[in-house]
Amino acid sequence: MTLLVKSCLAAPLAVILASGPALAHAADQGFVLLLPTTAYIVGGTLTVAATILLLILLRPGQLDPLMRPVVLGPPRAKRDWRGWGQLFAAIGLALLILIGLRGPTDPQANLMPLVLWTVWWMLLFVVQALVFDIWSWINPWPALLRVLVPESKALITLPAGLSIWPAVVIMAAFQGFVLADAAPNDPERLAIFAIGYWVFTLAGMTVFGRETWLRQVECFTVLFTLIGLLRPVKRSSIGFPGWQVFSKHQLDLSHAGFILIVLASGSFDGLYETFRWLARIGVNPLEYPGRTALVWPTTLGLYGSILFLTAIFALAVFLGTALVKGSVGFKTAFVRFSFTLLPIAIGYHFAHYFVTFLVQIQVVLATLADPFALGWNLFGLGHRRVMVGFLTVPGTVKAIWLCQAGAVVLSHVLAVLLSHRTAETFCSSRRDILALQSGISILMVFYTIFGLWLLASPRGA
Amino acid sequence: MKNPPKISRRKTLLGLGAGAGALATTGVLPGSLGFAQAQSSAPIKIGFQKHATGIGAAYGRWYDTTTTAAVARINEMGGINGRPVEIITEDDATDPGRGAEVLEKFANQHEVDVAFGTLFSHVVIGSAPRAGELKLPYFVVSEGHHVASGMLNRYTLQPGITDVKSQVISMAPFVADNLGKKVTMIYPDFAFGHDHRDFFSEAIEAQGGEVVAKIAIPPTETTFTRYFPNIPRETEVIYHVMVGPAVLTFVKEMGEFFGPSRPEIFGFIDSLEAVDIQSPGLEFLEGTYFWEGMPRHKQANESEAASAYRAAVGVNDRGAAIDDPANVATYAHMFGCWETLNVIKAGMEAADYQGPADRTKLIEAVEAMTEMPESLDHPQGDKLFNGKTHQAFGKQFISKVSDGNLEVVHTASIEDGLYADEVDYTTQSF
Repeated sequence: MTLLVKSCLAAPLAVILASGPALAHAADQGFVLLLPTTAYIVGGTLTVAATILLLILLRPGQLDPLMRPVVLGPPRAKRDWRGWGQLFAAIGLALLILIGLRGPTDPQANLMPLVLWTVWWMLLFVVQALVFDIWSWINPWPALLRVLVPESKALITLPAGLSIWPAVVIMAAFQGFVLADAAPNDPERLAIFAIGYWVFTLAGMTVFGRETWLRQVECFTVLFTLIGLLRPVKRSSIGFPGWQVFSKHQLDLSHAGFILIVLASGSFDGLYETFRWLARIGVNPLEYPGRTALVWPTTLGLYGSILFLTAIFALAVFLGTALVKGSVGFKTAFVRFSFTLLPIAIGYHFAHYFVTFLVQIQVVLATLADPFALGWNLFGLGHRRVMVGFLTVPGTVKAIWLCQAGAVVLSHVLAVLLSHRTAETFCSSRRDILALQSGISILMVFYTIFGLWLLASPRGA
Repeated sequence: MKNPPKISRRKTLLGLGAGAGALATTGVLPGSLGFAQAQSSAPIKIGFQKHATGIGAAYGRWYDTTTTAAVARINEMGGINGRPVEIITEDDATDPGRGAEVLEKFANQHEVDVAFGTLFSHVVIGSAPRAGELKLPYFVVSEGHHVASGMLNRYTLQPGITDVKSQVISMAPFVADNLGKKVTMIYPDFAFGHDHRDFFSEAIEAQGGEVVAKIAIPPTETTFTRYFPNIPRETEVIYHVMVGPAVLTFVKEMGEFFGPSRPEIFGFIDSLEAVDIQSPGLEFLEGTYFWEGMPRHKQANESEAASAYRAAVGVNDRGAAIDDPANVATYAHMFGCWETLNVIKAGMEAADYQGPADRTKLIEAVEAMTEMPESLDHPQGDKLFNGKTHQAFGKQFISKVSDGNLEVVHTASIEDGLYADEVDYTTQSF
């Protein structure tokens, strides 16, 4: 029997107002498809390629001053209020969990998914990477324990050799939840997950020590610490974005693995909604069957993407190290160059969620007016209508797309700069510097094309 | 263990709205909302299966707006059987798997009286069997033919919106009489497009016309120029039902292909639902025709009921949100939520519905319905409900794009859209 699925196809510009990042796209795509995106992709790619060529002209060491921070003065001994911030964040999280369990069942009216995905995952991720170390103020995990047990002593010592591998595994699992779970927006489900993770983290901090657990296992602290390396400002020092990457850090393969997971997951988040991917897994993009039906293809695709990116990144690094025999070992280069991928991961994160954020932050504000669904209208926000019409105005759609594309291109330009500077830490001659980063440069040019193509592609999910 | 009831935002907001009036007039305490004359003042709970996320979210938002407005009106009128109506919203993520889970939550956790509101066909098809198992009346607003085709069950009804088979066949007389008899169909190459192809081919032949070419476009196609040379020169009318993000590209390229001389063009507004017809690139649509479930642009002769409905859902004369004029409504479909809720109300009143034990009485009461005259309960127009097939039939509109406005040039009668019954659900046991 043939089925009529008229309604299921009826929205050429369906605005996907998902609060969860896994569903996050405003499909203003009809107008995007009318834009000369091929020309834009070529332009963006040429910009990145031109940056690589310009850097060839530099004398070795010429980038050094750029990556050296300016110290704005001695750090002033101020009272540290961050513990209070964390305590408030913990109370806030507890409230969100309560709202998730007992609040409105519509995820568009429940602050649990709205705050988690829109405020934390979309907004604070970018704030942490570019503006300010917000995580040290809102990390909710240690607060409760600090109040109950001021002195943190480990009952069992977590081997330092484990480094952040536990966090790598948990981050991979988290990305699986974000992308492949059937209902990552369901308030109750999210609340239960949050409780589970909180209990897990409290137990871990109690047994293995607060700082150790946060440093090696708690994947969000690890994530926010790593992306924070891109921030121009650190305490009283300020420098070019990424300067912190070149200050002293204990870095190893686990850090590289973590960064590769973040980048690959972000890229796969863009890829798995495209017509191209859906067609490849045998799904008609105009007849998208829903996430439940695609849990396994998505899961396999995600972890396949992580392995694939790791492999091509390794190949790119290997090419460089092979060309500069003896100057640097493969493993060292693999670890150090992985940090040059951070800007790309952050740039794409911004671009990917930008449109959804513009809509969802309005939903957050409207819901803040009545967080417990008691009929309140705090701050008069309840009467705000969520404006989505701008997504069907061609001029606005174009401006937004160029903004997204600009972020992708800029992040690659920064990645190229960091890559050049990284190569300089291992080699002294211009020839070797270029040779060492040759594979990475090729990778970055192609990743630019890929990132812009993702933004321009029609999506079915 | 039974889960405690959840707070419903809408319940609270509506409660305040209705309660404010009640307080002003009777001074009753909040909570009774002026419904105290009923045997039970406990609310009638309607589970709204909302496409809050996923590919249906644009529709979900407008279905939500319409549902909220309809329930506000029902409560202002005293509710159902003297009891207030409470909407419990759950997100089905436009996902059939989640849809079935949501129905379970409605039945077991929220203990709703009926479930309502689903649009996307695959979610209806994925959820309806569970509604049957749960013995939960399931009122869908999907316009799919799957209800009337007999593939679902006695608990699933579609009384507030017509189905696509009826829509398609009711277009044939106008097309044959006014636009031409030689038709080329351009449609996406999968079940949705095939159904249009099959229903319309049969219907136009019955009118003495013929489909001279059937051009199936692969669903992943995003450029169409190479398909247009396949349109035969003898074509008098192009019937298009393209959907998806590439629709605008399709229109633009079709315009570039034909230039100023083109055959007549007829399409379904579904292609451009929620899109401003005056968007750049759509100029080519000037002078072409569209099916509309309900006229998006206010007509000179719009009925009082239709205008009142337009105001109630916050839509301006151009079919867009009053306070966000670029946000065009899913106007051809969302009236179905309004009308379905009024059918539920009428059904519960006819059945003297008191609680879940009366669910079968409710279904029998709705099955017994026939004519539903145009009114504020049915602002889209007269309906004829077929209790055997659980499907409503109604008027269909054909609008011509004139100076960027959708002007109704023909209204297909209910009779134009009737077809032989394919099922008799009333013979199925509960």
